[in-house]
Amino acid sequence: MNEPEQIVFVIDDDPAMREALDSLLRSVGLDIRCFGSVAEFLGAPRPDIPSCLVLDVRLPGKSGMDFQKELALSDAPLPVIIMTGHGDIAMSVQAMKTGAVDFLPKPFREQDLLDAIAAALDKDRLRRAQAAELAILRERLATLSDGERSVVVLVVQGRLNKQVAGDLGVSEITVKVRRARAMRKMQAGSLAELIKMAGKLGI
Amino acid sequence: MPLLGPLLRRRPLLPALLVLLAAAIFLADTITNLEIAVAVFYVAVVLIAVRYLDRRGVAIVAAACMALTVLSFFLTRAGSMPAGVVNCAISLVAIAVTAYLALRTAAAEASAREAQAQLAHITRVTMLGELTASIAHELNQPLAAIVLNGNAAQRWLAGGNRDEAGKAAERIVRDAERASELIKRLRGLTRKAAGKAIWLDVNKTVTETLPLVQNEAGRNHAALRTELASGLPQIQVDPVQIQQVILNLTLNALEAVKDESVRDVTVQTSLGKPGEVIIAVRDSGRGLDGVQMDHLFDAFYTTKPDGMGMGLAISRSIVESHGGRIWAEPVVPRGAAFRFSLPAGRTGSRGPDR
Repeated sequence: MNEPEQIVFVIDDDPAMREALDSLLRSVGLDIRCFGSVAEFLGAPRPDIPSCLVLDVRLPGKSGMDFQKELALSDAPLPVIIMTGHGDIAMSVQAMKTGAVDFLPKPFREQDLLDAIAAALDKDRLRRAQAAELAILRERLATLSDGERSVVVLVVQGRLNKQVAGDLGVSEITVKVRRARAMRKMQAGSLAELIKMAGKLGI
Repeated sequence: MPLLGPLLRRRPLLPALLVLLAAAIFLADTITNLEIAVAVFYVAVVLIAVRYLDRRGVAIVAAACMALTVLSFFLTRAGSMPAGVVNCAISLVAIAVTAYLALRTAAAEASAREAQAQLAHITRVTMLGELTASIAHELNQPLAAIVLNGNAAQRWLAGGNRDEAGKAAERIVRDAERASELIKRLRGLTRKAAGKAIWLDVNKTVTETLPLVQNEAGRNHAALRTELASGLPQIQVDPVQIQQVILNLTLNALEAVKDESVRDVTVQTSLGKPGEVIIAVRDSGRGLDGVQMDHLFDAFYTTKPDGMGMGLAISRSIVESHGGRIWAEPVVPRGAAFRFSLPAGRTGSRGPDR
């Protein structure tokens, strides 16, 4: 089997549901891994590719709703689609508030599930892209010297070169040199781009 | 007299007893020269009246007692006048206070009873709700799987993969069987009559059941009668379940006659076709006009504003699980009769002897 480029995880304690979901998702060309409980899912290796989780509420051991909350608080929040055989409004509101992509009462329309899965995979792809971008920016930021870094901090606050020179007690020429070097290291084509990067990095 | 009608039918001696007691007190109060408040004993009359009469009846009895007290005060010739006035006043106050407190207590008891009945109703509804929720969940699993497998099969077929489509179809059949197995098991739960059946005297079952609804009959001022055929064969049933059916039908009948001018409910036993005993509950109520006879015994069908539509459905399932039938007929000139048959042994036999 080729390495899949995206994957759908399913946790449902009912074998018939797992088989049906497995067949349906394979029929539309999705890669799928099924588990009978949260513990089983946590014990299995998870490839580092865009993925999402279709989660049943009533499970042996840890309940689906509890596990969803835990996932949402973790540093790799996997997008979750909740499905349940006895859902009520309160439960669905709670699930959506905790960030579930969708809440499907059983039995549901296949298209609803497929749409939810597509949305969840997109969400994860976007999150991964953002995380990757942030990692690159952090790497670049790390190459800056302390002097260059303090210039960037003041420049993105909107201070002029002259003012930055005054603030740091260096010459305006030095500020210009450090600023140019920082722009090059950060691969920022313009001041606007640098400001956006600073925003993502939280400086 | 509408007030004393049902009373006379149930306890024919009571009014006479009350009058006798009042008269005795009156005589003692009037004739004797004792300087005590003999009239205080009228509270006994009031207290007895409270047990058997409604509010108005009790008020009338209390007023009559007070009138007698005053009358005997004026009729009394001898004795000290001030003592007489004080005694008379004490008696009047005692009678009035007793009547007031007794009526208050009776009203509180009635509302407590009502609250209890409401609670029982709510408990039943809640239980039903929980049961429905858990059944729904159990059935949802296979149903959801069936739907998904159906969708998957369609997609596999569209893609030309007959093998996968076939497997999905197999799973549909398997899950559908699982769902129907669940329903079968549920049915089994509600039909557990077989084990506890014993041989039973029909008439005895009826006479042992009716005291349970006597109170309700009294409250509705209805006359509850029996017409029991003699020499009936024994029946083989679960006594608790059959009592439940009789109770259900009788309570329905009592409710049907509640607002009528004639309030008769009769429980009959008779011989039906060979090997069959029939129990019938007949009432003088509004009858079965406007009732959908085909659905009368269906679950959740009800003609009562606050009914659940479960009583007759449960009754039918009990009767049918005993191998009998249940049906309803209009009664001429007015009212309805609910009858059910039960299979019986040989006439006059004392048990399953062969």
